Amino acid sequence: MDARYVLVGNSAASLAAVDWIRKYDREGRILLVNREPGPAYSRVALPYYVAGEMTLEDLWIRTPRDYEEKGVELLDAAPVVAVDPEARKISLADGRSVGYEKLLLATGSECVAPPVSGLSEVPVHYLWTLEDARGLKAAAEKARTGLVIGGGFIGMLAAEALRKLRIRLTIVEMAPQLLPQLLDEEGGKRFGEAVRDEGVTLELGTTVRTLARKPSGEIEAELGNGRKVVVDLVVVAAGVRPNLSCVTPEVCEIGRGILVDEFLRTSRPGIFAAGDVAEVVDFLGGGQRVLHAIWPSAVEQGRIAGANMTGRQIAYDGSLGMNVVELFHVTLAQIGRFREGPGDDVKLLGGGRGDAYRKIVVDRDGVVVGAMYLGDAHGVAEMGVVHSWIRRRARWKDFERHHQPRFTYALTVRDVPEVRT
Amino acid sequence: MKQIVVHQEKCTACRECELACSFSHEGVFNPALSRIRVNDFYEEQFYLPLTCVHCADMPCGTVCPTVAIRRDPDGTVRVLEERCIGCKMCLLACPFGVMGFAPERGVAQNCDLCGGDPECVKFCVPGALEFAEVETDAKAKQKFFASVVHRALAGT
Repeated sequence: MDARYVLVGNSAASLAAVDWIRKYDREGRILLVNREPGPAYSRVALPYYVAGEMTLEDLWIRTPRDYEEKGVELLDAAPVVAVDPEARKISLADGRSVGYEKLLLATGSECVAPPVSGLSEVPVHYLWTLEDARGLKAAAEKARTGLVIGGGFIGMLAAEALRKLRIRLTIVEMAPQLLPQLLDEEGGKRFGEAVRDEGVTLELGTTVRTLARKPSGEIEAELGNGRKVVVDLVVVAAGVRPNLSCVTPEVCEIGRGILVDEFLRTSRPGIFAAGDVAEVVDFLGGGQRVLHAIWPSAVEQGRIAGANMTGRQIAYDGSLGMNVVELFHVTLAQIGRFREGPGDDVKLLGGGRGDAYRKIVVDRDGVVVGAMYLGDAHGVAEMGVVHSWIRRRARWKDFERHHQPRFTYALTVRDVPEVRT
Repeated sequence: MKQIVVHQEKCTACRECELACSFSHEGVFNPALSRIRVNDFYEEQFYLPLTCVHCADMPCGTVCPTVAIRRDPDGTVRVLEERCIGCKMCLLACPFGVMGFAPERGVAQNCDLCGGDPECVKFCVPGALEFAEVETDAKAKQKFFASVVHRALAGT
């Protein structure tokens, strides 16, 4: 069963790696190993499935034929239990082992269980895998009230899905605002108001201390602030962390995730890592390594890792955090460093439709390093242009004269003649 | 492939193209729903209609988490609405700012070249828009476009 390329994981990073391996090597055998059953599905679409806006069929992003056409053998429902870098082989849960020449670890993230007393004694739901989504969907159809533990990205997507199913909600978030990874204080304040306007109860700056099942079958949560909430359904969304279940420090160097260099190589020859599990070069510099559990970065890294596994030497210019989502009728977006640090300058832009909040962060050298947006859907297109400024390390002074009433492509391309074709 | 070519110097910002696009796709005259947009720099008297350039490297499609953006055999970059969850990652990825959003349907939308006979071109009185064969290399197009824009805005 040995293969030249063995890829562990079956989502953004791994699939992108397949594409770029095949760009440079049409022959080498590719074996894709994944712990979940079935072809690849879109994790990002799961909340929309829970809300009934997408069918199960809509979730698949690859068909069995897609794998065939790429010459990829998919080994699904096959968790990897160990990696032996000396013998260059991996061991599967069913006892089989697979030899590799090049190995890609793209095992993604897994949910974190928060320290809540009683958590394992009551039925709670997560929203991370397809199996989670199916369970949550079934439970949500019978529930009238719900509690979401965590007001981050996944928690809010879960909340939005449950709200669409007319479930009365309470959201508990440890930070004093919702979406601390996506919104600054002002953005968090405005967004929190929009969520409250939809009839959702917010408990911010506190945690769930205990969970207990009542004789009625309902679940009672006691919060750190002393309040009690009784609900039919609990969703836990306390964040994710790299899934290192088959990776030990003996396999390769580990920080918070698997440490990789700019070629997506781990410390161990022949082993690469990409996607959520990889701790990669930060686009914003400083020699830092970052963990961005986001789809676009997983695709970029998967491509580069795939190419380099075939012997190319393509360097990654680093992961740039970015996110966008529409929640509770508000569109939110973030790129790069949207919270200003010491020495940074903040530009608040007017001129958008309605009362959009548009913020750009410029560093001490005048380079645009981040942006945040809160407003209607259309404004995000302009943030796409700002995204290209950040990617090109453009200077604010080249744009400031024209930043009102709207950003334009024209300004983006102004200095493009430097681009080599 | 054949594309909408912009002769920027002929554009008068009359916005007929926006109305034609909105009417043909949405059945109403509403520039906000148009897939082509005239960017205006009134101080410089510089107007630039922009729409999807169906570029080769397709950053919108690359970041789409549901693989809802694909290229047709004729080269057109198309949003498959039934697969689109409306996450807007493509809007955030498009460096030209030309991926749009249809709020009523909750999906991303870009220029579909009207299936090969673009309405905006037909209604462009000054002749700033032309449907013609162009090279498919987006960087080359971008470079050419940039030189036009650069000249017009030079010194500002």
